[in-house]
Amino acid sequence: MTQDQIESLLKQADRTAGPPAHVSVNLSALRRRAGRRRTIATAASVAAAAVLIAAIGILSRTTDTLDSPQPQQRIASLEDQVKHLQATTDAALKLIGEVLEDDRNQRRLGALHAQLESIPDPREEIRKDVDKTAFNLVYQADRLYYELNLTGSAVEAYKQVITLFPKNQWADVARERLADIERSRINKSHPKGEPKWKLQNATPSC
Amino acid sequence: MVVMAESADHELLVRQFNRGDESAFEAIVEQFSDEIALLANRLLGWPGDVEDVTQDTFLAAYLGLKKFRCQCSLRTWLFTITINKCRTYRYKRMLHLQRFSQAARRASSASHRSADSPSMDSEAFEQVRRTVRALPPKYREAVVLKYLEALPTDQVAQILGISKNTLQVRLNRARKCLKLNLADLMESNL
Repeated sequence: MTQDQIESLLKQADRTAGPPAHVSVNLSALRRRAGRRRTIATAASVAAAAVLIAAIGILSRTTDTLDSPQPQQRIASLEDQVKHLQATTDAALKLIGEVLEDDRNQRRLGALHAQLESIPDPREEIRKDVDKTAFNLVYQADRLYYELNLTGSAVEAYKQVITLFPKNQWADVARERLADIERSRINKSHPKGEPKWKLQNATPSC
Repeated sequence: MVVMAESADHELLVRQFNRGDESAFEAIVEQFSDEIALLANRLLGWPGDVEDVTQDTFLAAYLGLKKFRCQCSLRTWLFTITINKCRTYRYKRMLHLQRFSQAARRASSASHRSADSPSMDSEAFEQVRRTVRALPPKYREAVVLKYLEALPTDQVAQILGISKNTLQVRLNRARKCLKLNLADLMESNL
């Protein structure tokens, strides 16, 4: 089937279908319809513009109404958050300060303990001083008795040591001397000799 | 020469109308109403009653003639409007048929029954018309404008708003479709 055959067939088919019914275009009706279309188009444009303006107005009003409380609420919320953060920070700083202070106190206490441990015991010092004093008195008494033959003064000095430091070791030494002196008085014959031990070489236990 | 004179006349009518002379539009209607009706009849598948489409076409022309810049001929412009109106009409008719599909099926079967009585020739041409009606709209428009309206290819392409190549493609496909459906008919005629 060629293009011409198709064209011919189509034309014959069109011809046999007959012409359409006569169309009388009613111009007055057409103008009325055109007028209505124009009116509708104008009204639609006006309505669309009005709707647009109203929408913009509502939107701007809504935006205004929304804008005013929102920042205030946000500011209030932010202030609350800042306050909360400040409170948290203050509490944390306080805790840190307390921990640091406690640490400082602990270190100070440790230093004081060390310092305290380094300080000698005063009672021991006093005991040493007492011992030294008692030794000096016994030494002086021994010199009175053995070197100067002042037996009466020596006995007084020994008794003074026993009176002042009764529990001291030199008080015991003084008692032994007094006992020797008493024994020598009883024996009379016993000559005065060297002391059994040299006081000069004896040193108090420090 | 005749075409150029016609074109000048049409341009003059358009200018007159734009100056407010309503009689110019009456002249346009008088000159083109039959052509528009014929084209609409062919595009819609020869229904016969094409008054609504023709009225709508001239209404659109009346409303839009002030925007017409004479870049194409008045006939081409009116044909373009007609094609668009036919497309709209077909679309509306399709929606209507979809909505009342049962009634449409009954009407279709009745029309088939009534078509049994005529002679073989009229039956054969009815088959041709049915085949053309069954073509997709874009192929049918090309076939009607090219073969039935006998318009030049340039003008058809301009009316349909497509390139010449696209038009050729559509015409080729339409011919293939017609050959396929009308092969028996052509063999018996030959």
